[in-house]
Amino acid sequence: MRKSFFRWPGICVALILLSGAVGCGSKSEKYSTYSFDYFDTVSVITGYADSQEQFDDIAESIFSELSEYHKLFTIYDRFEKMENLSTVNELKDGTHRVVTVDPRIIDMLLYAKDMYKKTDETVNVAMGSVLSVWHDYRTEGTENPSEAKLPTVGELTEAAKHTDINHMIIDEEACTVTLTDPDMTLDVGAIAKGYAVEMVARFLEEKGVTGYLLNVGGNVRTIGGKPNGEKWLVGIENPKEESEESYLAYLELSGESLVTSGSYQRYYVVDGKRYHHIIDPETLMPSEDYVSVSVVCKNSADGDALSTALFCMGLEEGMALVESLTDTEALWMLDDGTCYESSGFGKYKSETKK
Amino acid sequence: MMQDVKNRSVEKNSRRLFRNDMIFIVVLLLLVTAFGLWIYLVRGEGDRVVVTIDGKEIGTYSLAEDVTVEIRTGLQNEELNLLVIKDGKAYVETATCPDGICSEHKPISREGESIVCLPHKVVITVYAENEKDAPDIVV
Repeated sequence: MRKSFFRWPGICVALILLSGAVGCGSKSEKYSTYSFDYFDTVSVITGYADSQEQFDDIAESIFSELSEYHKLFTIYDRFEKMENLSTVNELKDGTHRVVTVDPRIIDMLLYAKDMYKKTDETVNVAMGSVLSVWHDYRTEGTENPSEAKLPTVGELTEAAKHTDINHMIIDEEACTVTLTDPDMTLDVGAIAKGYAVEMVARFLEEKGVTGYLLNVGGNVRTIGGKPNGEKWLVGIENPKEESEESYLAYLELSGESLVTSGSYQRYYVVDGKRYHHIIDPETLMPSEDYVSVSVVCKNSADGDALSTALFCMGLEEGMALVESLTDTEALWMLDDGTCYESSGFGKYKSETKK
Repeated sequence: MMQDVKNRSVEKNSRRLFRNDMIFIVVLLLLVTAFGLWIYLVRGEGDRVVVTIDGKEIGTYSLAEDVTVEIRTGLQNEELNLLVIKDGKAYVETATCPDGICSEHKPISREGESIVCLPHKVVITVYAENEKDAPDIVV
């Protein structure tokens, strides 16, 4: 009986092809996903997983954690049966209540007090009154560009009278917070995002997850390196269109955080001039010294607070602050395009590419 | 009579075997072609721009071809980000979003670069063709 000449070799070839395909499939691949639901910005998760399902599981747990922190720290939304910073800010009969809050709020506010001291009083979560004046003008000016206006000096200086962080009374044991100045409100915009990202990153690290990168509105935290042992390559955008360099710097990170504060990220335009969202507590105006300030350090909460603080500090003063901190480096870009970096910033730069 | 039937059956059988071989070769060739095509499409497509709305991919465009894309959002598709791909670069020419930050963003062309429109939840990202040492993310 005649046997098929091709059958067996054919099956062999098919098996080889198949095993090749299966081999590729079991190697971990890079996935990514976005969400616009948290901290009024875009959150990107990038990670290596064996399958889409495995990635989706981890991404879902990350988003669910981010969602919790978002709900606790937001000052713009209230949620049913839940105390958050928005309810801490609210007035009842002309005063702030003593509000029993989630321990995560207490921890974050204690951290905020600590950063207030460490940043020479530059990062102040009690500046809500001033920031809300800017927020209202920015929102109106954005919706009605032809009517866009600047806050008056009078409004700002009046609001600035109610920004003493010592009027934020925290009772750690009772887990309560209250604001003893009725005209004072909290705005944790300068630290909450980074703090939440750091907490989520630690949650993942405790679960043994590695090979992930979180980016919540420019607040980057790497969780380990890549599965093949390589580091993450992170480019810092060069906002200058006329520049030939696409990136201000090209970094290799493995477990570190990179936070960039930029004047080009959020702003509105009044009479043809841009006014961005990082307000200097001394001048009560957007700080105009830099286009962007990037901070590389271990803790993303520190990175967030520091990048905001450095944005409002002179270069010399800021450089001295960075040099006094361990494992913390920074890159400043001035309006004319010149860049300055702290002494150890270079060690994070990729050697293969600039 | 019986012999004749058997002979015919053997002949038929061997013809079927031959036909099966041919089918197998054709299938194999098809597979190889498909594999080649897959390689071409996935790896050899060149630099491309991926557009997502609220995390869902809605389109992929080659940076090599000049094109204008209306990215529509909103309940009645009333919102617009006009994506223009020209001379290997992608940018948002106009947009109906209130802040207009996306249309102020400089043109993007390198792997990992992106333009984000927060109000419309639109993200436009460049993916380069196997660019060596391409960044995982650009911030």
